[in-house]
Formats: sequence, C-alpha cells, structure tokens
Amino acid sequence: MASLSVPAHLDSLAPIAEFVVGVATAAGIERKPAYRLRLAVDEIATNIVLHGYEENGMTGEIIIHAETTAETLTITLEDKSPAFDPFSLEEPDSIDRSLEERPIGGLGVFLAVRGVDEYRYEYRNGANCNIFTVQRPPQA
Amino acid sequence: MAFSATKTMLGSVAQIELVGELDAAAAGDFRKLVDEAANEGAKRLVLMMAALDYMASAGLRALVFAKQKMGANTDIYLVGTNESVMETLELTGFHHSVITVAALDPSILQL
Repeated sequence: MASLSVPAHLDSLAPIAEFVVGVATAAGIERKPAYRLRLAVDEIATNIVLHGYEENGMTGEIIIHAETTAETLTITLEDKSPAFDPFSLEEPDSIDRSLEERPIGGLGVFLAVRGVDEYRYEYRNGANCNIFTVQRPPQA
Repeated sequence: MAFSATKTMLGSVAQIELVGELDAAAAGDFRKLVDEAANEGAKRLVLMMAALDYMASAGLRALVFAKQKMGANTDIYLVGTNESVMETLELTGFHHSVITVAALDPSILQL
C-alpha cells in the first residue's frame, strides 16, 4: 500500500493528482477511467480543504492511501476535519437546469459517485475516510 | 500540474486560451480573467480548450460566474474541448449552457 501525507491546502491538489495518476497507471487503469478517478479524488479533496478545514478555521493534513488487489485499485482520503458524511447532501436534482439556475454545491460528490465503480464514506478512528474503488482491466 | 490562461480582446469578444489543468487551485486565475473581460465590455466569451487537459467542477463554477458577470444572454463558446472534459460537461448538464464547437470559425470572433 502506497501513502502520501499532504497539508490540507489547495496547493496539495497537484501532488494528490500526481499520486492518483501514478498509481492508476501502475495498476493498468486506462486513460479515461484514470481521468475520472483523478477527478473524483480531486473533487472530494477540494471539499475537504475548503469545507472540512478552511471553513472551520482549521489546518491539518490529508493522507492518501492506494491499495491494489488483482481486480481493484482503492484510493482512500483520510482527514481529521469535523466528521462529515458527503452522502448527507441532497442529490443535485437540477442536472437539466441551465447553468445560471444551478445551485452550487454537491457537484463534486456527484462527480465522485459517477467517476468510480464505488465511492463510499466511513468515519474510522476519528477520521473521515473517503474511499474510491475502480476495477482493474483483466491482467494478462 | 500547471494552469495558464491568456486573454485577447477582439472588440466585444473575449478570446481566452486555457492551458493545462483547471482545478480549484487554478480557478481563481481563470475567474480573474473573466472578471477583466467583463469589465472591458466583453459580450461574448470564446474559450480555446484544445490545450486544457483537465477541468474540475471549479472550472464549471467559473463558467457560471462568467454568465452571472457578463449577463445571462452571453454566448460562451468552447472550442476544441477534449473528450474527458466534454464528458464532465455532459454529465453535469453544463453543456446546455455553452456552445461547443470542434474548431474555430473566425466568424464567432466578430460581434
């Protein structure tokens, strides 16, 4: 399992993305699914930085883990900002509305859910855990 | 993962070339340019997307900001958007609010 710890700051989005793309490539994930995985993790990491830490006047770390099995790649984002379940947000029902009418918020969670095979949340040992799983292509 | 954006004003058309990766860290730079364009009297936005490799929802929010700033009737063109960015636009429904074209027809630069 590979891990990386970064400050909970928007500047960390770049190293987080590099880490995700790196492990995805090593796991044989193809370009488009790897893009979607990167997007999913980026969106949630952004929410953690802005809504978990900054809006609560806190600083801290985000730890990202990558774990590979024969069939899957799992990325976990761990943080100790106040406990928050992203699935408690309302489903953005306004997908067909025009851009101007759109309520902002929840888009990131939507993109995370749609971007990977499984996206789930757990609260474990005092930490928010956002867990993203993608299927690996069959290994030769 | 760098981002840069360059703006050219052509009368009341603002042409902005986007390069690199537009995540939440980079979105502020893009917004600044849109703000400038609006203050300089832009009535249409033409975004050159071919060199933009990645766009997060922060990029989508910047498009919302553009419409709010420049007026709801402002046409926003996206030229040469890559497949993955297009997929994000379509998935979120934002493609309804912009005009996507594969290549630049010079007539869209004239208003």
